[in-house]
Amino acid sequence: MKASERNRTRVGRPVQRRLKATYSWFDERTGATELLHKGLYEAVPSRGSWAYTLGSATLVLILLQVFTGIFLLLDFTPSVESDWNSLDYLRTSDPFGNWVRGLHLWGAYTLILVIGLHMMRTFLSASYKRPRELNWISGAVLFFLVLGLAITGAMLPWDQAGYWTTVVVTNIVHYFPLIGDGLRQLWRGGDFVGPLTLTRTFAIHVWVLPFLLLTFIGAHIYLLRRHGEFGAWINYDTVSDNPDREIGERVRHAEPPYPTRRIERRYAAPRKTDDFFPNQLFKDTVVSLGLVLIIFVMGLLSGAPLDAPADSATLSYVPTPEWFFLPLDQFLVLTPHNPLIAVGVFLIVGGGALAMLLLPFLDRSRDRRPTRRPEVLVPVMLVVFIVIFMAVLGVNRLYSLSP
Amino acid sequence: MIALTQVGGNLLTNGLLVAVVALAHVQIAAFLIGASTLMIVSESVSLARRDRDPRHDRLAHGLIKSSLFVFSFGAALAIFFVLFVLSGVWGRFFVDLSRITFWSFFLEAITFFGEVVLIYTLYANWDRLDNHRLGRIGLLVLLNIMQFLQFFWIDVVASYMLTPNGGELNFLNQVLNPTNLPLSLHRVVGNVAWAGAAVALVAGFRYLRATRRLERTSRLSGGAPALSVGAMAAGNAGAEPPEAAQARYWDWAGQWGAIWAIGLSLLQPFLGYSYAKEIQLHAYPSWYSMMFGDLSNVFLVQITLLGLIFVAGALYFWRRMKEAGAQHHRLQGIVAIGLILVTAFAALPAWFAPTYADAVAAAGNKPFWEGGLLNPFAYFIPYKVGALFALMTLGLWSLTSYLRAYSRGQLRPGLVGRRTQFTLLTLGVAVSVMMMVMGVIREHARQPYLINGELTINQQQITNNSASPVGGTSR
Repeated sequence: MKASERNRTRVGRPVQRRLKATYSWFDERTGATELLHKGLYEAVPSRGSWAYTLGSATLVLILLQVFTGIFLLLDFTPSVESDWNSLDYLRTSDPFGNWVRGLHLWGAYTLILVIGLHMMRTFLSASYKRPRELNWISGAVLFFLVLGLAITGAMLPWDQAGYWTTVVVTNIVHYFPLIGDGLRQLWRGGDFVGPLTLTRTFAIHVWVLPFLLLTFIGAHIYLLRRHGEFGAWINYDTVSDNPDREIGERVRHAEPPYPTRRIERRYAAPRKTDDFFPNQLFKDTVVSLGLVLIIFVMGLLSGAPLDAPADSATLSYVPTPEWFFLPLDQFLVLTPHNPLIAVGVFLIVGGGALAMLLLPFLDRSRDRRPTRRPEVLVPVMLVVFIVIFMAVLGVNRLYSLSP
Repeated sequence: MIALTQVGGNLLTNGLLVAVVALAHVQIAAFLIGASTLMIVSESVSLARRDRDPRHDRLAHGLIKSSLFVFSFGAALAIFFVLFVLSGVWGRFFVDLSRITFWSFFLEAITFFGEVVLIYTLYANWDRLDNHRLGRIGLLVLLNIMQFLQFFWIDVVASYMLTPNGGELNFLNQVLNPTNLPLSLHRVVGNVAWAGAAVALVAGFRYLRATRRLERTSRLSGGAPALSVGAMAAGNAGAEPPEAAQARYWDWAGQWGAIWAIGLSLLQPFLGYSYAKEIQLHAYPSWYSMMFGDLSNVFLVQITLLGLIFVAGALYFWRRMKEAGAQHHRLQGIVAIGLILVTAFAALPAWFAPTYADAVAAAGNKPFWEGGLLNPFAYFIPYKVGALFALMTLGLWSLTSYLRAYSRGQLRPGLVGRRTQFTLLTLGVAVSVMMMVMGVIREHARQPYLINGELTINQQQITNNSASPVGGTSR
């Protein structure tokens, strides 16, 4: 060993020792090692693991929204007088302003897409069944919260698009039976959209919804770790001539968090599992990084739009909703100007959202293969088709000739 | 110099000629497009299953064979349609239309080359591709894409004729025509539903033929006549005659077709409503004519036929579930009765008199409970919309209930009475007639124009008059 290396080792050893001692002190008090070990070495079903990356990708995208949102807050001023100017300053004078806004916008778009795919995967694999009902409900609530964040976010830039979106969205709540008018007045802070509406929408977007979102994320992750990833039916198929014996063996030798409690025996433990680290974590990282990279590029290339400053007196402006609200908007276009129908549509949309939330209690079938659950698969596919169809029609309407 | 002369015949005979040939043309084209989609589904299911499910393979093979024959006949009819009917009888209009929508016609024509190559390749090499199933599916997907593009481009022309939105538009604006996309999607779904109904219709016939032969064979051999193939097969376990296997296959094929026909027809009220909404926004007189004018009574026939499709489907499901003793079969019967009642409600006319003038003369503009002839329950909004929604809901329950029983192994192909098959025949005929009625409504909605508001049918003269509500009653 050379002298210089010997010197380095002599210097390095006490530093390592001190760091180790510091970590031991920290670990003794927090149980960090155990927590890390538990987090990294839990078993996940090995088949279909690329499909399980959508949940972690959702989390990463939400964190990206939080970070970019904090950066935007450094310059954004939520008042009718200076709202538009602060965003214009971001766009024109801040070197990274438009990019960060672009990241926030494209992050939101991607988040909605990914969370939708994640829910579809969960639905098709029937992962919401006992004992994972609350996983689904908390996930569905998260989906609604993300939609809420998206729409309130679209209202904040006090430009023409934001202002007229605010007018339309705050008007929709008045269709709510019995208390609709009161809700609209509460949100608007009066009969018309004004300074109070902006302040309240800002508070909802920055404080109320994120607080609820983080709370439900915590609950969702806790429930996931408690019951383990279900995966899909393909992980529970038996291959031997004696299925009962095979399932018994599987349950006896299952790695934590399996066998899942309070579930049919055949679905208690998957046939083959991998450790979360490094297998699943690698796939999660690849997907999440890929999505973040796309968002960075899109943010850089297209930024975020800013219309002319809000003008409530204009009559020529035609508000266009964000793409994820196109189905709902198209639904309103198709709605005849009849109060009975309007309330009916509101009830249909509200009823659909409620049915989505309560899906685990509506689907009582025991089998988990999609083809064995036609009573839920067919209606859901019908709804998905109609939603896509209305989104396509909405796009067509935006680009086709005006009447 | 050759003098310009008027084409022979009159408006009625020429119109009738176009109607007959065009309706036949549309039925053939729609079947071809829908059948290739069903082939992809059948081939994919067959490939995905461990036992390769020979029934699906046989169905797909049968569909490519029938597609080839139908395509060949359809091609001849299309040539007749374009050369003799459109160019010969409506020459001036066709030249103008071809000039305005040249690129759509051109792109449509190109897809025919691909379609010809793919259909004949698949037909001639079907067996050879047995060991290359993915390749076969790939060719079917290509065929489907080709056919989709084909009818998309012709829909650009059709939607331009209904909603030209101010005369000669450029190509991009023709594609972005507000009625183009709803029409295309309405037809995508309708084509597959029609192909499913056609499969059900043919399968119903073939089942009846197979069981008739089976009964004849059974009588000749001195056995008691059986009510169903299942009963026969059960009575002669181990020595099943070939007709029984045939009947079992056709029974399965009929069920498969019916599921597709009913399942996709469930979407049609919604898609049709969306299409009608765009017509209302962009060609109000045409929409008015369909909903309140001369065509409103034809539209009632359309709604009745839609109801009939769901009723036939529910009755078919009910009988099969009842014969197999499946769960919820009684409820299925009740749903069928509910569908009949809703259809009757949806088919209610607005006036209990032939014309508005009769209604006014007889009792004035009063509802029937005040002694008049007016029936407010026939208003499209909200009552007929409500009826359509009820049809969709009941139809959805009927289908999912049947699929539920099927997925739980409560139904078996073959265990079915001959009378059950008549519901399939009704279903097939109803879908076919409905397509024709829809065509009649859509074409007549722009009367007296060939290109709405731009080019009239009478002597094909170009006018500058703006469109106005066409005849019929008003409210």
